[in-house]
Amino acid sequence: MITSRFRHARALCWALVLGLLPLAASGHDMKMDMAGEPALGASAAIDAHGGLWLVSERGGHVLLQHAADPGTPLGTPVMVNAKPEAVYATGENRPKIAFGPDEAIYVQWTEKPAAGWVGDVRFARSGDGGKTFSAPITVNHDTAPATRGFDSLAVAGNGDIVSAWIDGRDSAAAKAAGKPYAGFAFYYTRSTDGGRRFAPERKLMDHSCECCRTTLARKADGGITAFFRAIYGDNIRDHAFAVLPAGDAAAHAERATFSQWQVAACPDHGPGLAIDAHGVRHAVWYEAKDGPTIWYGQLDPGHAPRHVLKIGGPGASHADVAVHGNTVWLTWNQVDADGYTLMLRRSDDGGLHFAAPRGIATSAHAVGSPQLLLRGSHAFVAWNTTDGFKLVDTEAH
Amino acid sequence: MRRRIFLALLTLAMPALAQAPPLQPLAASDIPALLKPPAHGTRIIAIWALDCVYCEANMRTLTNVVEAHPDRYQLVTVATDRYALHTQIAARLAAMHMGGYPARAYAEASPERLNFLLNPKWGGETPRTELIRADGSRLGISGELTPAQMRMLP
Repeated sequence: MITSRFRHARALCWALVLGLLPLAASGHDMKMDMAGEPALGASAAIDAHGGLWLVSERGGHVLLQHAADPGTPLGTPVMVNAKPEAVYATGENRPKIAFGPDEAIYVQWTEKPAAGWVGDVRFARSGDGGKTFSAPITVNHDTAPATRGFDSLAVAGNGDIVSAWIDGRDSAAAKAAGKPYAGFAFYYTRSTDGGRRFAPERKLMDHSCECCRTTLARKADGGITAFFRAIYGDNIRDHAFAVLPAGDAAAHAERATFSQWQVAACPDHGPGLAIDAHGVRHAVWYEAKDGPTIWYGQLDPGHAPRHVLKIGGPGASHADVAVHGNTVWLTWNQVDADGYTLMLRRSDDGGLHFAAPRGIATSAHAVGSPQLLLRGSHAFVAWNTTDGFKLVDTEAH
Repeated sequence: MRRRIFLALLTLAMPALAQAPPLQPLAASDIPALLKPPAHGTRIIAIWALDCVYCEANMRTLTNVVEAHPDRYQLVTVATDRYALHTQIAARLAAMHMGGYPARAYAEASPERLNFLLNPKWGGETPRTELIRADGSRLGISGELTPAQMRMLP
């Protein structure tokens, strides 16, 4: 339960309410809301100059907004996709944004038409600082109708763009052949030309969980790693970790959590990962073997995570993690009957010990998943709420 | 002639249409009534989501139980997707042949608060089956029901 101390915490967050203009509806807009209610799936990022960027969805369009300084209001939305499509921005799906060399901006989302669970991973690039975008391309080469979603996006140290998602093609093929197949599969691909083209996707692992967000994190050497929920044995839903190498080198996923949560269900609760300069893999993940639990731990693929700490129980959800030097930040949503509290824990010794949890913002209304952003050594939490987008300064509380 | 056939078909369909309860939003203030023990038997709350690949099979299992013992069980479906997506939710319910059961969908844009109010020991995974018995006892089960779990049903 949240104490009143948290509820009455000073509201020092910078509330940047999205002034999005309603856009024209279309029969094609699967997610167009009855009363214009926007989906809460949005992503924010801070660029090399310290500017804040936000991508959200409205009326079948991915919208990009920018504030040169996190303390100033977000600017007028720029439409990333001119032609509306069924942008998937609910649950753990949300548009993504990343930055490339030469001020390039990359935006990715899943298009999920109304029929069943089919979808495609879509991508658009801007070479003029977000003023205009290329026509969206479909990242997945296999475009046969199949489930695709819970995509993730990262830029490697060499500028390559890595895209990953959960894909149902193998499950569908097995079903058609009358064979059993647990879950879906994890696929990934890479663009070496700034997002003009993506290589044919590769399968990293059969038997991923079907409906949890995937996470990509960059190592200090610029390489990209993946962390996602997978199915082991008879519906045991733990997590897998892999390095996604460039070129033709094969990737290999290893089991990285051993919670032994066995359930034939969709958790809609994916993990988070941040890797420090020493290669320590700081992770957060959810499982409910003995009730809802969020864990922090340092991944040791093939073995149980180290320095494991239970950070959340009932009512805790959708954690994120960030690291800079020896400082590790953890954030998550904590709900009770009255609403949501944005929680924060901080470690200044590389995740060995954490200060007590603190509530740093509250919302009486619905909220999206919190997202930690770093501006140098300063951490913010992006929090999209029904009342508007908020950028919460972790040091103001 | 065509018009007369259409009107005749419409007349035949009217009772069925009238019986199909429309999808209703489920707000926080509605949850105490939903969780109130029934006068007799067991209320089964079948919680599902548009994204959930196990929910249709679970729904089938539950309807088999309810249809076999209609005097013992009442079934209510609850979608954790926001009511704003009511068109898709209603279409999926119809495709799952669930149109004849009372149906609710979350009135809030994110599900966690309503999940917590329905059962704080549940983290939101779907399918989720909540059983509310007339004697006030409750049982919550996450995941597609197994035969062993089915035997636990009252």
